[in-house]
Amino acid sequence: MALEKITHLDRRYIYILLFFFVSIPLLAPLKLPIPISEHTYGVYDTTNAMSAGDVAVCSFDFGPATIPENRPQAAAWIFHARELGLRIVALAFWAGGGPIGEDVLRDVYGSDFPNIPEYGTEVVYLGYIPGNEVGMQTFGDNTQSAKGTDHYGTPIGDLPLMQEVTSAEQVDLWAEWTSGTPGEQQVIQFVQGRHGGPSALPIVVGSTAVSVPGMMPFYAAGQIVGILNGLAGAGEYEKLMSNDYDYPFEQGPGLDAQSVAHVLVILFVAVGNIGYAIRRYSGGES
Amino acid sequence: MIPPELDLFAAIFGVFVTIFIYSFLWKENPLSRAVEHLFIGLAAVFTLAFMYDAALTQAFWGTERIAEGNFIWVIPILISLMYFFFFSKKYFFLYRYPVSIVAGIMAGMMITGMIQSNFIAQIESTVTLPLVGTGVWEGWPLPGLDSIIIIIGVITALSFFFFTWEHKGALGISTRIGRYFLMATFGAAYGGTVMARMSLFIGRLRFLYETSYADWFWAWYLVPIAVLCVIIVAVWQRSRPTPPESEIPPKKQKSKD
Repeated sequence: MALEKITHLDRRYIYILLFFFVSIPLLAPLKLPIPISEHTYGVYDTTNAMSAGDVAVCSFDFGPATIPENRPQAAAWIFHARELGLRIVALAFWAGGGPIGEDVLRDVYGSDFPNIPEYGTEVVYLGYIPGNEVGMQTFGDNTQSAKGTDHYGTPIGDLPLMQEVTSAEQVDLWAEWTSGTPGEQQVIQFVQGRHGGPSALPIVVGSTAVSVPGMMPFYAAGQIVGILNGLAGAGEYEKLMSNDYDYPFEQGPGLDAQSVAHVLVILFVAVGNIGYAIRRYSGGES
Repeated sequence: MIPPELDLFAAIFGVFVTIFIYSFLWKENPLSRAVEHLFIGLAAVFTLAFMYDAALTQAFWGTERIAEGNFIWVIPILISLMYFFFFSKKYFFLYRYPVSIVAGIMAGMMITGMIQSNFIAQIESTVTLPLVGTGVWEGWPLPGLDSIIIIIGVITALSFFFFTWEHKGALGISTRIGRYFLMATFGAAYGGTVMARMSLFIGRLRFLYETSYADWFWAWYLVPIAVLCVIIVAVWQRSRPTPPESEIPPKKQKSKD
């Protein structure tokens, strides 16, 4: 029976099908509607509720492997924060996040970054802070103990913004772009938990989709106030930014491709299980 | 960051590396292996260099560091150098001291951090779920229904890991329900994994389709050439004479001890 045979299908046919079905929307975008999720609104509303001059930490805790998901999330959010007049302390607790963070900041602030007038007062980039969880906790307790200089070798004490931000007590919002450990859970444990809890230091997260189910208990408990879920979350935030500001909505074709790929995966799972059930109940091997 | 003058080189290199690594899906081949090894080597060197630089920055430069006479930073440097006794048979025991210190610090930090954020805060949010009050049973989805599902899920999933009594009777029913909740969680995690992997694949395809340089070069121009390289290597690999069985060294048997 055809459905039984499908369970023995060479996986390479599935790869070829996926390649074509993902390519089509990328080359000819379908422009499917993009509903904004509650979790994305959590990030957007929390950021909007900040006042100009508030301090936000922006932590690039991801590596090159998850650039397609984390990078557009971070770029859209930093753009939003800059438009609202938030002062940004950018850093990375992942070694791989160091250069990526700089690249994202150049995208938003221009290729002259850090040689821009607002560097040091409106935005600083500390670069990679070593020590994982220990580095995070140290930064939360005393920013100058965590890192002596910024990413460009300027002593932190010489930066006006960092003279004000001496610990997490002065931080009003933490934006965490993460794809693993250390990530949002470590920020909750070692920074938020030690500095007043969720009400004093709200955390918004942009994460790779793999990690999002594990974050839901923290979201339900209010320890995280908003989540950008993978590429979809990035696209939704870009959509919100393009509605409010002159921000390019670039993830549309990617979201179309993802929708098509998911339909295909659902079909594969359904057909594979039907074939398995037929084989099992017709007396074949299980 | 890649300097603009190297954009073209980066694009060309990126296309070949992408196609070579994806050729693994068809079959493992020398090109996919070479790129895999390249990635591992680069990642190791990058991390090492970054860590080295960061450690120097941390210990020597900036405010309140050795350079400004704060010699307390000498202590962690000396302790960290003890890691190198790993390579000495005679002084290997000294390697255990930095490991013990790090393990102790991490255990202490984790216990205090996790008890508050993963234990107390989670219990607090579960016991304060709204079951009565204004708006709890109004509209759709009902907030009250969400609360009941979460409470049932927490209790039954916890009972699944209760091993003092045999899972029979009321406990058996609870653990069975708990197992369904756990399965739903694994399903959500699998869905998230599929979504993440697709995003990465889409990211690579967008790189191939959209990367361009100075209006005359598009990355996808090189895709057929990269594919051809894979085919040539595959044909070459297939045409190589296989050594006679007598020349293949026997595999080492694992000791049963």
